[in-house]
Amino acid sequence: MGMDQKQNVLRLSAEKLYAHELEALREADKGIKPAGWQLSPKSVLTFITGGTAGGTAITPKYIGNKRLVEMAIATLLTDRALLLIGEPGTAKSWLSENLTAAIHGDSSKVVQGTAGTSEEHVRYSWNYALLLAQGPSDQALIRSPILRAMEGGGIARFEEISRCASEVQDALISILSEKTISIPELGREVSAARGFSIIATANTRDRGVNEMSAALKRRFNIIVLPAPSSIDTEIDIVRRRVGEISASYELRASLPDDEAIRKVVTIFRELRSGLTLDGKEKVKPPSGVISTAEAISLLTGSMALAGSFGNGALNDEDIAAGLQGAIVKDDEKDGLVWKEYLENVMKKRGASWRSLYSACTDMNG
Amino acid sequence: MAESLQRMHGHEWVSGTREPHYFGIRHLSPAGSYHLLALLQEVKPTALLIEGPSDAGALAAQLTSRGVVPPVAMLAYTEQLPVRTLLYPFADYSPEYQALQWAHRNGCEAQFIDLPTVVSLALSERRHAPTVAAVHAEPEKGDDEEEEAENALLVSPKPGLGTIQRDLYARIAEISGEPDYEAYWERYYEHNLEPGTYQRAIGHYSTEMRALTEKEELVLAPQESAYNEIRESYMRRKIHDAIAAGHLPEKIVVLSGAHHTSALGLQLPAMTDEELDKLPRVPAKMTLMPYSYYKLSSHSGYGAGNEAPAYFELLWQCMRQGELNKLPALYLSSVASQLRGQGTWRSTASVIEGVRLAEALASLHEGVQPTWRDLRDAATVLFGHGDFAIVAEALARIDIGTAIGSLPEGVSQTPVQDDLNRELKRLKLEKYKTLVAADLELDLRENRRVKSEEAAFIDLNRSVFLHRLSVLGIRFAHKRRIHQADATWAEHWVLQWSPEAEIETVESTLKGETIELAAAYVIHEELLACSDIAAAAKLIRQSCECGLPQIMGQATSTLQRLAVDAGNFGQIAMTVHELSVLLQYGSIRRIDTHALVPLLQQLFLRGALMLLEAAGCNDDAAAELVNAIHAMHSAAQEHYQEVDGQLWMKKLKELAARDDRNAKLSGYAFSIVLERNEAGEEECALEVSRRLSPGIPADLGAGWFEGLSMRNRYALLSRDYLWRQLDAYIQSLEAEPFKRSLVFLRRAFGTFEPREKAAIAEMMGDIWGAGAEEAGVVLQRPLNEDEKEQLDELNDYDFGDL
Repeated sequence: MGMDQKQNVLRLSAEKLYAHELEALREADKGIKPAGWQLSPKSVLTFITGGTAGGTAITPKYIGNKRLVEMAIATLLTDRALLLIGEPGTAKSWLSENLTAAIHGDSSKVVQGTAGTSEEHVRYSWNYALLLAQGPSDQALIRSPILRAMEGGGIARFEEISRCASEVQDALISILSEKTISIPELGREVSAARGFSIIATANTRDRGVNEMSAALKRRFNIIVLPAPSSIDTEIDIVRRRVGEISASYELRASLPDDEAIRKVVTIFRELRSGLTLDGKEKVKPPSGVISTAEAISLLTGSMALAGSFGNGALNDEDIAAGLQGAIVKDDEKDGLVWKEYLENVMKKRGASWRSLYSACTDMNG
Repeated sequence: MAESLQRMHGHEWVSGTREPHYFGIRHLSPAGSYHLLALLQEVKPTALLIEGPSDAGALAAQLTSRGVVPPVAMLAYTEQLPVRTLLYPFADYSPEYQALQWAHRNGCEAQFIDLPTVVSLALSERRHAPTVAAVHAEPEKGDDEEEEAENALLVSPKPGLGTIQRDLYARIAEISGEPDYEAYWERYYEHNLEPGTYQRAIGHYSTEMRALTEKEELVLAPQESAYNEIRESYMRRKIHDAIAAGHLPEKIVVLSGAHHTSALGLQLPAMTDEELDKLPRVPAKMTLMPYSYYKLSSHSGYGAGNEAPAYFELLWQCMRQGELNKLPALYLSSVASQLRGQGTWRSTASVIEGVRLAEALASLHEGVQPTWRDLRDAATVLFGHGDFAIVAEALARIDIGTAIGSLPEGVSQTPVQDDLNRELKRLKLEKYKTLVAADLELDLRENRRVKSEEAAFIDLNRSVFLHRLSVLGIRFAHKRRIHQADATWAEHWVLQWSPEAEIETVESTLKGETIELAAAYVIHEELLACSDIAAAAKLIRQSCECGLPQIMGQATSTLQRLAVDAGNFGQIAMTVHELSVLLQYGSIRRIDTHALVPLLQQLFLRGALMLLEAAGCNDDAAAELVNAIHAMHSAAQEHYQEVDGQLWMKKLKELAARDDRNAKLSGYAFSIVLERNEAGEEECALEVSRRLSPGIPADLGAGWFEGLSMRNRYALLSRDYLWRQLDAYIQSLEAEPFKRSLVFLRRAFGTFEPREKAAIAEMMGDIWGAGAEEAGVVLQRPLNEDEKEQLDELNDYDFGDL
């Protein structure tokens, strides 16, 4: 685990990225730590929403509604499983990873939910070579992240739970209510150590998701993460994340200025809500989801364009290319929506928007 | 002032004077009540001085009588119109109410020591001088502000000062790490049952708050500042009075809003007799009225800082029983059972998890137990699955509740309130006096299966009573329209009581001693101001509905007087209609309507004579006149014995034949003639061909047809010669006039039902010899693009002269 490795990884996990903050919090922590927790609930809150710990500044990881974070932490305090629901780009996974990092110190026990996720991914499977050679044994057992978390009293994360087939979702029901996984082949039962919990995330608006059963929902405390409430919050989130991403990907382009971020976020918010920010004009929303996450990837994408093919400064053409890709996803209909927006809203915005407008119009054709 | 107050407060405890016990509260604070009772038990005072209008002594005594169920309010109102009111609401957990109860139980003298309402009403008028209009429009507004100004913890009416205070509250919430100020308050004050701490904490808190805002108040809201000073100096005077009356200072407890506590010290100058004399006064009266939790909650705009009265009551009950820790479970299980009642099943297990989550949230804030906010958030997560909308209604029901207070008979009420209650009882409507809207169907006919006359006509009497209330503007009953035309004996009401209705009832006191007298007064006043016959006719109907024959007589003579000069056909027709309805159904209401007959005859005659003249109008006015003609014609048929129907028919025929009147009205008149079979086939064919001949401008011809088709369509559909004429007419038109007439004809046929259109299509098929069905199919197929475009062009057709 040298510095080399740390720098070579495409994306560091939260506990590594913010190791010094966690360390500072641990040292300054005077609160009572619940069983299996490495920090007190208050310090976990500080880690997520920002503050200071013994002189070290703690950056805010989740911007927006502090109360929701409190509710999430309180849920984990009561040994209940936590389900974060929200549209794409509402920082569900981000919050889940950081909560896990702060409470448990290891955010790597993850089940990635897909249509192909099977019950074995949730419980356990076998190393079949060993199984055939030795019969059922501890060595032949491949533990799922959830089983490992149970044994160690940690937190397992279940990403995109609504993408799994319902029988896989159902496998969770008994785990969550009994807090045990039985392994009949070995004739034993693994009971969860104190501190075990699951943080799941689910997406409500995407296509191709499965409805969650009421029985499963009952076993979770569900918190809905809203889209950023104000434009300033959203700009703040975008700026912060773009900065972090461009640092770790070495994009070789200068960061977008505040004006550019504000423009992109304005366009996204207006298209998302179907209304101009001043509330005076209706706008037709495109068919796809227009999330904060996409604003972030749009800007980093534009930066990559500028860095690789341009002079390293982000210009309006780069942003226009990104906007075109983010908004016109589906078909010609989105193209029309975008064109309408350009003509009806952006064109009237005056000189400061002029060059972005012409760049977008050129791109949209 | 600020400085001197500060100093005084600091010196209060070291100076030689013996001071009474000052107990500062936040109004409507259960913990305030809890700690106050503890203090009273310990001090056993002989006098209890309470911030409240000093002229409400009699009401204060009544508040403690048996049968009073809070929430109730004291209402002060000016004796002259426009009525201005001040409201002092009490919940069971109001410290003031608990103090009165304690004094009553322990033989202690309780007194209100704030400015008398005769003064505060006059002062509030002056304070809000620039916004007097607003005060008039909304009677309680002055009071809202009054309450707010009283309460250091609430928002002042002046925007500048309000913003400063709001910012302060937001800062406090932020520093304490609470989601909002109310949560801070509940956590640190309402849950704190340590003996003595509440009093010290709130005293310290409001002294600091006062010091922080006093200077700004003086600059930004000088009137508020001055008003507070007047009130406090008056209260000091009253404290001195109590001591002079022989009460030992240490045996006096002074209960006031925490904001005022620091300004009540004995060393501060008290109001002198001359100062008292100089205060303005308005004649005013006071009464008690039942109040409601809904009104108390900020949802109704009252904003007294008590968003969830029913929750606070639950808090208060738990506190009294020493079981505050049971509150979360009680609260969440009531929410769950409310949800179940609405059809959303939530298990006991979710309630348990909800309590655990709320307690975990409280522990994050080092709280003793969950606040209301914690509980609501837990309900959202566990019961709403993260979605607040699912639990919103259930929460509102549990937080605010539908509780409405009540007063026993004989407890101070205005005569009208008493009368209202008597009437409700007599008419068996008491059960409708709730906050939940309920339907009431009335059958005004005599019920022959019952013995007593009272029972036989109970629905009629109810109807009379409810109509009287609506004349008085008391929003208790709302009449629904009934579409069933023949059910003239049926009425459908929606009944819902509200504190506003109570206030409106009290205001009616100025109009008369009973509901009946007050309603008569209102109609009488309107009669005096009435200047057109339609309004007078409406008043006749109202007085009939209200069972006020005497006023009806007056209204009839007013109408007669006005009718002499009436020269508007539309108004006359509407009046005729009103009278006609009254004559037909007056008997159901058991009111003699014969006096109306001559009036009807007179007006009908005038209307008939004015028809022709009125019909010379443009198309816009014609639309209204069509209704008027219809009304006249209906009256002519209903009252054929009384009115001159022949004259009317003659005039209609004349109008039908005239070419210089509005073509649509002529057509309409002709359709009546046709309907009454007053025109033979030949005559009719002649008229149609005359109207629809090529020489007549297309808009006139088609307009005439439009008028013709507005009435009985069967009469048209059964006359095939009419359609032959129309067909011939259209065929004869050149391209340009055709387009012109098409606009009118489309409009005319646009109102036909599909069934009728089909009948026309078949008839045209017969006429063209194409076979009825084929023609129907061809005529009713949807338009193609080309045709649509051509029709759309017509929308922009320039009529030039129109």
